[in-house]
Amino acid sequence: MHIPDGFIPIAQCLIYYVILIVALYFSVKWARSNLDEKRIPLIAVLAAGIFAIMSMNMPIPFGTSGHMVGGALVAIVFLAPEAAVLVFTVVLLIQALIFGDGGITALGANVLNMAIVGGFVGLYTFKGLEGIIGKYAAAGVGAWLATVLAALACAIEMAIAGTFPVNVGIPSMVLYHFFIGIIEAVLTVVVLVALDKFRPDLLAWNKSEGDA
Amino acid sequence: MDKKDTYLIVVAIVICIVISCLSPFIASSYPDGLEKSAEDSGLKEDFSVEEINGIPDAIFPDYAFANDPDNQVLQIVALIIGAIVTLGVGYAVAAIVRSRN
Repeated sequence: MHIPDGFIPIAQCLIYYVILIVALYFSVKWARSNLDEKRIPLIAVLAAGIFAIMSMNMPIPFGTSGHMVGGALVAIVFLAPEAAVLVFTVVLLIQALIFGDGGITALGANVLNMAIVGGFVGLYTFKGLEGIIGKYAAAGVGAWLATVLAALACAIEMAIAGTFPVNVGIPSMVLYHFFIGIIEAVLTVVVLVALDKFRPDLLAWNKSEGDA
Repeated sequence: MDKKDTYLIVVAIVICIVISCLSPFIASSYPDGLEKSAEDSGLKEDFSVEEINGIPDAIFPDYAFANDPDNQVLQIVALIIGAIVTLGVGYAVAAIVRSRN
């Protein structure tokens, strides 16, 4: 769901950039007190992995395709949506500048959808459900809902921009991402299971409150 | 960096290389959800992207080499370069903003 340059008028892009700057302020603040040296490689690895997996579009119904995004994953790994904002600002900036994927002017909106909406929805759905259905099922539902609501946010931005009509853009985006969200859910759970098996020390959910 | 973190990075690079080698061959070329929604909304393909002045051309447009965009080997090279650059920039950013206590 990378919004390209030209889909959002410049004046509206500036508003999303303001949101990005505020989000980055809180993310750097979070990192200054919570991102210990030990988890620097984890940020780097998640960023690179997300960059790579985004090239792997998988077919979904209706002659369309989708790939994993990973905003919910990063937020759940660190139990902090701030981490998703950091990772996605890096990934989306590189994709826009070097690969022409997404847009430079649309960077703020893209971080808003994939990292802020995706990260918050993924993490808080996970937190709300983990006690009821278990952490992996909760992460899967969180990742699915993160994809659908990020797509809804994107459709609303497209409607405000006048690019997609509300009555077409919202149903289309939600319908396609209903299926893309299943890809997101499966891969999010796979990565969490792998991390919990091989590097449980890196998962914030394995830390007690005190030493987080 | 201790040994476990070196392994983490090596494993991540291997996974990224595997994905990069597969993507040009097996990734779906159907439009993604946003592109399809744009079509549903009646927008033409590649709507407006070229029309914004002042935005520099990407070095590897659409994850390919500009002078040979259909060359799948070069697409793999572009993806691997992208993953390594992202790893490096991600590491640098995290190292700059990390906690110091």
